[in-house]
Amino acid sequence: MKNYIKSIISLTVICAVVAVALAATNYVTAPIIEKNAGAAANEALLVVMPDGGDFTAVDLTQYSLPESVVEAYNASNGGSVVKLTATGYGPDMIIMCGVNADGVVTGAVCLSSNETLGVEKTYGDTLKDATIDTIDGIATVSGATMTTENYRNAVKDAINTAIILGGGSADIRTPEQILADNLATALPAGEGAFTEVFICEKLENVSALYSADNGAGFVYVTTVNDEEIFVGVDANGAVVSEVADDVKANIEANAKIMLKSSLKEVDITKYADMPTNVDKAYKTNSGNYVLEIHASGFGINGDHYYNPSGEYIYIKIALTDKGEIITCQTIKQTETDGIGSVCADKEFYSQFNGKDESNYKDIDAITGATITTNGYKSGVGKAIEAVKIMEGVA
Amino acid sequence: MDVKALIIILMSSVLVDNYVLNRFLGICPFLGVSKKVNQSVGMGISVIFVMLVATAVTWPVQTYILDKLGLGYTQTIVFILVIASLVQFIEIFLKKYIPSLHQSLGVYLPLITTNCAVLGVTINNITDGYNFLESMVSSLGCGLGFLLAMVLFSGMRSRIEESDIPESFKGLPVTLVAASFISMAFFGFAGIVENLLA
Amino acid sequence: MSKQSNMSILLKGLLRENPVFVLILGTCPTLATTTTVDGAFGMGLATMAVLVCSNIVISALRKFIPDTVRIPCYIVVIAGFVTIVQMLIQAFIPDLYATLGVYLALITVNCIILGRAEMFAGKNSVGKSALDGIGMGIGFTIALLAMAIIREVLGAGSFAGNEIPFLVENGLTISLLAKAPGGLLVYGLLIAVVNKITKGKLIKKKEFGCEGCPSAASCNGGCADTVKEGE
Repeated sequence: MKNYIKSIISLTVICAVVAVALAATNYVTAPIIEKNAGAAANEALLVVMPDGGDFTAVDLTQYSLPESVVEAYNASNGGSVVKLTATGYGPDMIIMCGVNADGVVTGAVCLSSNETLGVEKTYGDTLKDATIDTIDGIATVSGATMTTENYRNAVKDAINTAIILGGGSADIRTPEQILADNLATALPAGEGAFTEVFICEKLENVSALYSADNGAGFVYVTTVNDEEIFVGVDANGAVVSEVADDVKANIEANAKIMLKSSLKEVDITKYADMPTNVDKAYKTNSGNYVLEIHASGFGINGDHYYNPSGEYIYIKIALTDKGEIITCQTIKQTETDGIGSVCADKEFYSQFNGKDESNYKDIDAITGATITTNGYKSGVGKAIEAVKIMEGVA
Repeated sequence: MDVKALIIILMSSVLVDNYVLNRFLGICPFLGVSKKVNQSVGMGISVIFVMLVATAVTWPVQTYILDKLGLGYTQTIVFILVIASLVQFIEIFLKKYIPSLHQSLGVYLPLITTNCAVLGVTINNITDGYNFLESMVSSLGCGLGFLLAMVLFSGMRSRIEESDIPESFKGLPVTLVAASFISMAFFGFAGIVENLLA
Repeated sequence: MSKQSNMSILLKGLLRENPVFVLILGTCPTLATTTTVDGAFGMGLATMAVLVCSNIVISALRKFIPDTVRIPCYIVVIAGFVTIVQMLIQAFIPDLYATLGVYLALITVNCIILGRAEMFAGKNSVGKSALDGIGMGIGFTIALLAMAIIREVLGAGSFAGNEIPFLVENGLTISLLAKAPGGLLVYGLLIAVVNKITKGKLIKKKEFGCEGCPSAASCNGGCADTVKEGE
């Protein structure tokens, strides 16, 4: 019994003494450790803002900032360092960007990326010294357009964030919100509900067409002086937006073509050489063709149009009788999520618009999905061939 | 998505970051005990068991007591004491209530008190920022990895014992060289796990 | 253990009872922290600091600590010193702290420390225990450095972080050595070399396992029983 008590006492005493010693050491070292941690974090931020001094983390919930912002820090020189994710077409990247008090980019680095191209390592340097006015003019890297564009958009978000943190206001709407706002402004009668129309006629200077779900009219997107403008047209084809006369004349001419446009199905079975990937074909009264085709993607082996197990990519494509592509759109696909699935993004498929037999292969491939891209291209190539067959020039 | 993350944690702690062969935690019992397959299995199962129990206790202790009180710096000392008392407790419990299990596992338990793999896994779970479920899965994975390494190696050792080896290499040196080869084989798993479920 | 001169207590740790190559203690840090010379040196010194302090304290308290609870007491003392060393390194040498990571906390369960507490400090005077700690610590550090120099120079083509151009430019590095299998390989080869030099006299009877294991004390030969049982 005596031994028992002695054991407990001695163990307790030792524990107590050790605890005191630990507390004392912690009292001395804790502030230094904290300072070290702060210095390390500071150093990482100084990379993109060498004269930033000290940084304090920003409580993101206090501001309404672009969705891509992950972290933000205010520098003692009045600038900000923003950490963002760049997603969308291509790889996900985490980008850190410094913006000084005047809204000028002091540096941008890519902290992590599942990219294999390598451009993300150096592209940040070209964005240095950019401002909100000049950033859109900075060139993307050819062959990696999508990656660099995402990078640039992330840095643009960073500049806007810095402006907001500095007490200013900035346009931080997402592309979808901007589109919805533009459509609603161009045709108020549409009551904000629009659906994109598949353009099957060759239109002059029109990049997209939307129809109001309530039948009130259409919105044409055209380009004037390198700037996209949205023009509202009523159900009878009369322009309702305030635009310059030449623009108005062009849009009304286009609207006239569209209003007259009608489709008639073509019996493809009567063409013996018709490529097997053409599912349906239509001809417009102006002589254009609209084809519904499928293309082989990743997971489909061997012959492009023989499908043992995988799913195809379904594409709708409008071509002129000369085989020039008017509109190309992915309808349905089951490619690998996040890689090949990018073929369903407008940034990808709209690259085919305006191309013809000679140059339809000159598009940016999807990062990490060469097979999907090649399958897609080959499907589009067969569509051009189908038009030639139907025109009897093959 | 969560299940996927858990599977990745499990697979990588068994195969890629194998505690014994890649991180060298628990290498003493690995070299010392793994001579017979049945011993290795017994030791391995005991380690899995203790790792799981230890994590189930140390994770809440760290999260709800030490962190709350700002006593994070006492982690090492608290964890080792918790593990040591747990092992004692388990042994007493098994001896009294499940003697059959005590007979098969009990002998290995005291060896585990100062097994660095157990302390290592509990600390790593905290450092890696795992939540409770992830911590348990990672402990299970580390334990399974330990068992796997032990059993694989015991098979190899019984062959080494019978071989004719240079005098200087007899005993530990040849064992270490053999362990090096197994470790090399496990290297082949690097990079597999992330892509397993992609 | 017969009477030993202070000098022999200090020196025996260097080779005759080198903790790493002869006593085969502390295998885990020996393998894990010897990828770089810096890490090995830091690990050696940190372990030595803990070893010396715990040896002193434990031998000073050896009459006060009851035999029944000596292992828990030793563990508390050792874990306490480990934490103190850990905090000091984190505060003053943060780079080393980042390099060693969890292995710093694992000094607590390093067989050398508990092993020396049990085998030496619990039975000898404070002065002798301190000398034993210093000797063993230096022996441990030297062994770690030997491993690390081989692994870093031949594996990564650098020494203490400084690139050796001759090796790198001519592609003479064996990157495997800097990785996990290389640790086991180099360790095995070094022990074989020690065996050869000493003609196997030092390690000859030491069957690895129970004797070197600090748990041997706490498990009262349970380990030995298992081995017998299995055989």
